[in-house]
Amino acid sequence: MKRETDLLALAREWVERAGAVVGKGVELEVFAQEHRGLTVKAFGGEVESLRYSHSRGVGVRALREGRLGYSYCTGMGWEEVRRAAEEAAANSLYGAPDEHNRLPGPSTYAQGDLGIYSPEVEDTEPARKVEMALELERLTLAYDRRIEQVETAVYSDAVAEVAVASTTGLGGSYRSSDCYCYVYPMAREGDEYQTGFSFDVGVRPSDLRLPGVAEEAAERAVCLLGSSSMPSRRTNLILDSFVAAEFLGMLAAALSAEAVLKGRSFLAGKTGEAIADPKVTVIDDGLLPGAPSTAPFDDEGVPSRRKELIAEGVLKGYLHNTYTASRAGTESTGNASRGSFRDRPRVGASNLFLQPGKGGREEIAREVGEGVLVLQVVGAHAGANPVSGEISLGAVGLLVKNGAPQRPLREITLAGKALEFLARTVAVGEDLRFLPFEGSLGAPTVAIEGVMVSGRG
Amino acid sequence: MIDEETARRVLATALSLGGDFAELFLERRHGSSLRLEEEKVEDCSSGSEIGAGVRVMRGESMSYAYTNDIGEASLLETARAAAAASRSGGHALINLEKPLARLPVLREHPVELGIDEFPREEKIELLRRADQAAREAGPHVVQVVVLLGDSRQEVLVANSLGEMASDLRVRVRLVVQVVAAKDGEMQTGHETPGTLGGYELFRDFPPEEAGKAAASQALTMLEARPAPSGPMAVVIANGTGGVLFHEACGHSLEADAVYKRASVFAGRLGEKVASPLVNAYDDATLVNRWGSFCYDDEGARAASTPLIEEGILRNFINDRRRSLRDGVPPTGNGRRQSYRFVPIPRMTNTYIDRGAARREEIIADTSLGLYALKLGGGEVNPVTGDFIFAVTEGYMIRGGEVAEPVKGATLIGNGPRVLLDIDAVADDLDFDTGMCGKEGQAVPVCTGQPTLRVREMVVGGTTEVM
Repeated sequence: MKRETDLLALAREWVERAGAVVGKGVELEVFAQEHRGLTVKAFGGEVESLRYSHSRGVGVRALREGRLGYSYCTGMGWEEVRRAAEEAAANSLYGAPDEHNRLPGPSTYAQGDLGIYSPEVEDTEPARKVEMALELERLTLAYDRRIEQVETAVYSDAVAEVAVASTTGLGGSYRSSDCYCYVYPMAREGDEYQTGFSFDVGVRPSDLRLPGVAEEAAERAVCLLGSSSMPSRRTNLILDSFVAAEFLGMLAAALSAEAVLKGRSFLAGKTGEAIADPKVTVIDDGLLPGAPSTAPFDDEGVPSRRKELIAEGVLKGYLHNTYTASRAGTESTGNASRGSFRDRPRVGASNLFLQPGKGGREEIAREVGEGVLVLQVVGAHAGANPVSGEISLGAVGLLVKNGAPQRPLREITLAGKALEFLARTVAVGEDLRFLPFEGSLGAPTVAIEGVMVSGRG
Repeated sequence: MIDEETARRVLATALSLGGDFAELFLERRHGSSLRLEEEKVEDCSSGSEIGAGVRVMRGESMSYAYTNDIGEASLLETARAAAAASRSGGHALINLEKPLARLPVLREHPVELGIDEFPREEKIELLRRADQAAREAGPHVVQVVVLLGDSRQEVLVANSLGEMASDLRVRVRLVVQVVAAKDGEMQTGHETPGTLGGYELFRDFPPEEAGKAAASQALTMLEARPAPSGPMAVVIANGTGGVLFHEACGHSLEADAVYKRASVFAGRLGEKVASPLVNAYDDATLVNRWGSFCYDDEGARAASTPLIEEGILRNFINDRRRSLRDGVPPTGNGRRQSYRFVPIPRMTNTYIDRGAARREEIIADTSLGLYALKLGGGEVNPVTGDFIFAVTEGYMIRGGEVAEPVKGATLIGNGPRVLLDIDAVADDLDFDTGMCGKEGQAVPVCTGQPTLRVREMVVGGTTEVM
């Protein structure tokens, strides 16, 4: 038999003791999280800042006759946890009764190595990590003489442990480690400045390929020098994989069953319909080996799994947690998600990605012939509305003519509707990459035809 | 939370291996949140946090460590972690021989109805009032979400300059989100009254008003036509319009961006950067404003800082590090989301001040343009000043009159160029609340401005101008 971690044993103990405190008729779920990390920022050849973090906290969900209450505390002392449990139980008196509010029961979790933990994070000296941030800055500066400076170069890692236990008999825990680095270089020519960006992510420091990150970030800044706007017109878009992943973020929000059930998704009521070109297949896989959001279970202890959400253009289903699944009369897809122990679980994607097709960025540009290769979009939070499906974003990129990049573009906007973008997807590349920010979204290069691009001139 | 002597020992430990400056930050916070959706209270949460962070600076380098345990042993251990990370040397700004001097405790932002005294039942009633008002606004309102959040945050800051300050911040904010739908088309509206104060907020800003305003925005946009694209005059309404100045100029006035020369305003103090009609301030002393406080998160006194006066760039806003390193007085803008974060220069309540014109005159004087009544979020490249903003409630101006509503419009431009192109400023200054994000930290801020006109901006839309 597998030995339980200390944190799970502690969580089980709290459930038992707190259960006795709040009394019969109240179900409890305890979510405990401990996190140790280091973040190094380099600037100007110096350590701009070095931050050690160590946080511990517990969130308690209480369920009483269909009413939910939540509370949390920092630290892991019994007194704090007891108070949080009492508060959660008291808060539940104010929640509206809903038969679909329920705590999941016990499950068996995926055995075997998910590739999400390596002791290397803790075994690597802080001095080596500091050197990695400094090296990333150096490599980026050295890439091209027009890279005037690096706004920030960052190395960061963390080791986390999560345990969840409940009076419904559920119990599980896992440990994970993650490392990432990113860099924002600034390129200059005359009076013009452009910024670039790149990153890498892994479970151990040695996963990070600093030279590749430096080169890509610098190249993304330098290639924009000499940019100008373009006259407004309808044209084709080639979305770089970073940009395609940002668009996928909007889709992920609209695929949440919570948004669908509550009338906040442009994808509501469309299951079984062809909503995209057959080249589009979107998958959410919580067990994808080594991926940023991989874990044996979701944030309420339901086993993670893989599911197709859009299969060859047809909408197959939504992301569910226990609550939304009960309301929709289906099973949870293992997509309960919370920011931290401070938040009760809601619905969120795990590793959500667009299934790769054929060809890299160059081949797709050749195929499309004319259009705009989009390298960055700005305003994704404001300008891509998952409720209405409307898209209106600023962008920078390269003008593509005769299948090759011609000149850099700035001060342009892209506008349209998400469903049009999905239906007009004419190519999906093979160069899948995961963007680890705000979840774990992965996309390859994507081409879309006939999009309104506005500019001046 | 701790006494002067303990704080002094922690600071001395932090500097035991060298450094120019050390600081201890302690925080205790509790609060609650309520969420009403589908006319039901679907979330009733509360929580409490305790934490402390120790920082050591040497030259431009800084190290930071934090803990959730504020007992003396844990604080000393945290101080040792921060010390070990800092390289040796440095001695400049240390005054730990004498006891720490406690700065006066200030209560400049009165709280009448505190968050713990105001009953939960009445909080729920506020949610219901906002919800009902929104639903009564029209049959096309299909979804209303109302959130109410409150918090009480005590902070204590002690530093090796020999000072110790504490601050108490009580905050309350209501967020109303409305979705309206008709013929397969969906539009959203939202409204967010908030205060550095207590529940008396809702005497001046009844929740019904917020509900109605959010619903009206969604319903209006349901009737809107697709916005045209191309360059045109843009009149930006008072209140939420201030977010444009905040994003497109304010962030470039933060001293860390200026120091890294990642700001279009670097090296331009004393120069003309805006139309002479523009006076802009960052002011954390505005009574009961959402972005206010008495001391910042580094123990510096809150201040009103002129940023631009009659078009001339006057000041940047700084934090302790930039103040000490650049030898300029602190502006009281060192802020952090919580003890888990390093403080950095942040805006508080940032606004363009009122002018002499009247809103009606400005509109009457515009033959063709866009009237941006509500702006959503946006993004800016601080190095170039290029920005984009979503117009969440917009109308065309035709022949000096507000005409049909338009949807899907964005404003595209360059911060410094827009500042120079402001050609009319009205007298109707108003503020809006927001949470500003920077380097992964969110802090409460107000944005503000009167109605103003920008001579020409690129409007991104989906159709040609008609």
